[in-house]
Amino acid sequence: MTPFVRRPQALGSWAVVLVGVLAVTTGLLGAGNLLPTLVRTHGHTLLLVVAIVAVGELLRIRMPSGRETAPLSSAAALAVVFLGRIQGEPTFALESGLVVLVVAAGLAGAAVVRRLRHERVGAPALAARVVGVWVAAGLARGLGPSDGTLWAAQLDSTASQALVALGMVAVAVVGLLTELVLVAGIRAEQQRTPWLAAVRDEVGEAAPLTLAVVVTGPMVALLAPVLGLLSLPVALVPLAMAYSAVRQYARNRETNRQLIGTLSHLTEHGGYTPVHHAERVAELSLRVGRVLGLGDRQLRSLEYAALLHDLGQISLLDPIPDGATVLAAPADQRDIAEEGARIIRRAETLDDVARFVETQTTAYRLVRELGEPVPLESRIIKCANAFDDLTSGSSDPVLVNAAMERIHLGLGYEYDPDVVDALTRVVEDATVGRVDDRSSAAR
Amino acid sequence: MRNRREGGGASATTFYLAVVVVAAVVLAAVATRVRPISAGPDLIAVLALALLAVAYPRVVVGDRVQLAISSIVMLAAQAVVGPAAVALVGAVVGPFQGSTWQGRVFNSAQFSFFGCLGGLAFLGAGGSLDPADLSGVGAVVVHLAIPMIVADVVQVLANAVLLSGMLRVAMGIPVRLQIGLLLRSTGAAALGYGVIAFILVVLWIPAQLGPFAALMVLAPLLVAHWAYSQHAEEVQGQQRVLEVLVAAVEAKAPHLVGHSARVAELSGHMAERLGLTPQQVADTRMAGMLHDVGQTSLPTRVVRELDLTGSVIGADYPAAGADLLGDLTFLHGALAPIRDHRTTPTTTSEDSLPTRIVAVADSWDLLTQVGAPGQRLHAPAEAREALAARPSIGDDLLRALDHALSRNPADEAVS
Repeated sequence: MTPFVRRPQALGSWAVVLVGVLAVTTGLLGAGNLLPTLVRTHGHTLLLVVAIVAVGELLRIRMPSGRETAPLSSAAALAVVFLGRIQGEPTFALESGLVVLVVAAGLAGAAVVRRLRHERVGAPALAARVVGVWVAAGLARGLGPSDGTLWAAQLDSTASQALVALGMVAVAVVGLLTELVLVAGIRAEQQRTPWLAAVRDEVGEAAPLTLAVVVTGPMVALLAPVLGLLSLPVALVPLAMAYSAVRQYARNRETNRQLIGTLSHLTEHGGYTPVHHAERVAELSLRVGRVLGLGDRQLRSLEYAALLHDLGQISLLDPIPDGATVLAAPADQRDIAEEGARIIRRAETLDDVARFVETQTTAYRLVRELGEPVPLESRIIKCANAFDDLTSGSSDPVLVNAAMERIHLGLGYEYDPDVVDALTRVVEDATVGRVDDRSSAAR
Repeated sequence: MRNRREGGGASATTFYLAVVVVAAVVLAAVATRVRPISAGPDLIAVLALALLAVAYPRVVVGDRVQLAISSIVMLAAQAVVGPAAVALVGAVVGPFQGSTWQGRVFNSAQFSFFGCLGGLAFLGAGGSLDPADLSGVGAVVVHLAIPMIVADVVQVLANAVLLSGMLRVAMGIPVRLQIGLLLRSTGAAALGYGVIAFILVVLWIPAQLGPFAALMVLAPLLVAHWAYSQHAEEVQGQQRVLEVLVAAVEAKAPHLVGHSARVAELSGHMAERLGLTPQQVADTRMAGMLHDVGQTSLPTRVVRELDLTGSVIGADYPAAGADLLGDLTFLHGALAPIRDHRTTPTTTSEDSLPTRIVAVADSWDLLTQVGAPGQRLHAPAEAREALAARPSIGDDLLRALDHALSRNPADEAVS
């Protein structure tokens, strides 16, 4: 039996959940007594926004890096922040605390559905959204005198609506960035990766979608005086188009990754390398790369290069025993790497990957003493490959310790000390550097 | 390049062009009588938007244009500035698309015509040019949303008909086929554009945002644009990775360098000639490209000694290749030919056609370009005779082979 909400593993996640709970509690204490009136007067509006926030949350997109975002839900939540006059319905004049409650209700609904489907709920991420909405609602409805808030300005026929729109977008940006930064913090903590790198990736990868989300919320509020509740579904159409384009792209990335995986199987089917060796080296390299703070693009090339690092063995006339290059003569290692790079160069788009494969055999000593330009990615693959060759993929502590000992012997001479450091952390703790916590979730 | 069939020639093209231009001018004149152009800030803003939209690069994935922001602007303009003004906007914007002067003139007239027709349809369907006066959601739906959908449909149809007419006259592509193709590639997207244009109009006029509305509406579109161009990049990347796969085979078997590419080309041409669907043609071409991938599962020494020129059956590397690629969903259509291209087909049904095509293309290239280890190559006539002698190869395949070979004289020059 899994707990209703997965217990956050660390302090930061707890803190975010706590702030989220604080936001909801403040809402309840501040305006909880208004809830019955609220439900009576705004029944239709509430039903619609809560439903869209919940459904949007269930339609998360899995980005190529493994991150998940819920643009439709974020946009609907921001719409609640700004919603004012609604054609055919009473004006949505709510305290900012109530806005938080409405959004939290939608997210809670989604969490319940997830729980019933035995999926991971991801409470810290939901809490981060609540906090983001809290900030945005505070800015839009709470800042300034009661008739001088941004929210009140949209009701004022003398105010320039273009300026009001601009203000709304700005507030939406602040709210969404709050959420993204919090999520990045949670992620950095779970993966033990540098926090700044996590923020950069979170904001960077989500940036285009974020752009669409920040205009959609205000758009709903601005359309509502004309279109009524119809404005919600209508304003979500452009975002939905963006959403489907992004999904298609993400799926395609997945296919490409699969294709590279197939390439890595070539040497396995030919009996040159042990089964799953390439996959394991790729996974290990990725985790080490994350700990060292590599960006998304770098990680992708690193993964591809790690998958293909033994490709050069394909044309060997005499296979080397068990495909373990770490035990082969240095000159042979070099030839194999060069052959692999030559094959990969056939695709111009994979130039980086070819370079990483080519220099993976260079000893760290040459980097230090002769200043040979060896990319960090190559040094990571060198280390990860040695580890997997020495352990043959086993997690038996005796083998792992022996392998680490042997790698430590080559520290500074053969291997980059920083990389070995990161590898040590990754090997010691199975959660370090892992993005995909779905495998450990109840499914 | 697509196979261009002879059309009616230059004079017919010019005549068609003149007809479209006259039609556009007449329609614009009619529209001006219905609703004169009123010059103002809105017209200037619409013009600027339309120019920006055509200047923006289009994203094409496969054969499809994924996003045409200019059609959204034209659609919104029909409600913001009226049909005559849209005719003007179309005429001004059109020449920015196209490479030849005829192309520019045609685009100008065509944009003007379908935009104006859409505008008239909008008015005809009860559309209001003063959406600010509409009160109530019902009125907005009846006098703005529905007329805009009507205009959307009219605009898409008019565009398809005019464009197909031009392609028929200039290149001889049948009108019906082309219209079907255009409608299929724009269908669902056009509806989405209609909704976006509707949002643009509501924000612009009743919500009083003015041209600023365009900025808000375009943001999600730019995202879609970004995603589609990423998507296009990935599709291209996929092709590149497949080439790496072939390069791996060739590293193992240097005598096969260029073989896969040639078989892919030949298979694709033969499949087209035999009237397979575009998807089947693509699958057959892909199978031609990857038919030897299974050889990577053999020891290098064996691969280098392999004699594939005879009609020897029983090699099991093709099956290994198909197994290797079995996980890749986008290759599903190519798996059967990859697996079976070296077995004698038991049927001559349509289903096995891709397999038989790849088998013939492979054998032809092996005989004429690769050869058996230590033996001379076959001359084309000799190779054709050898193929004709194989019972599994029918006349239709041989004719398709002849046709495919004649399409690419460079290949023959090499042999």
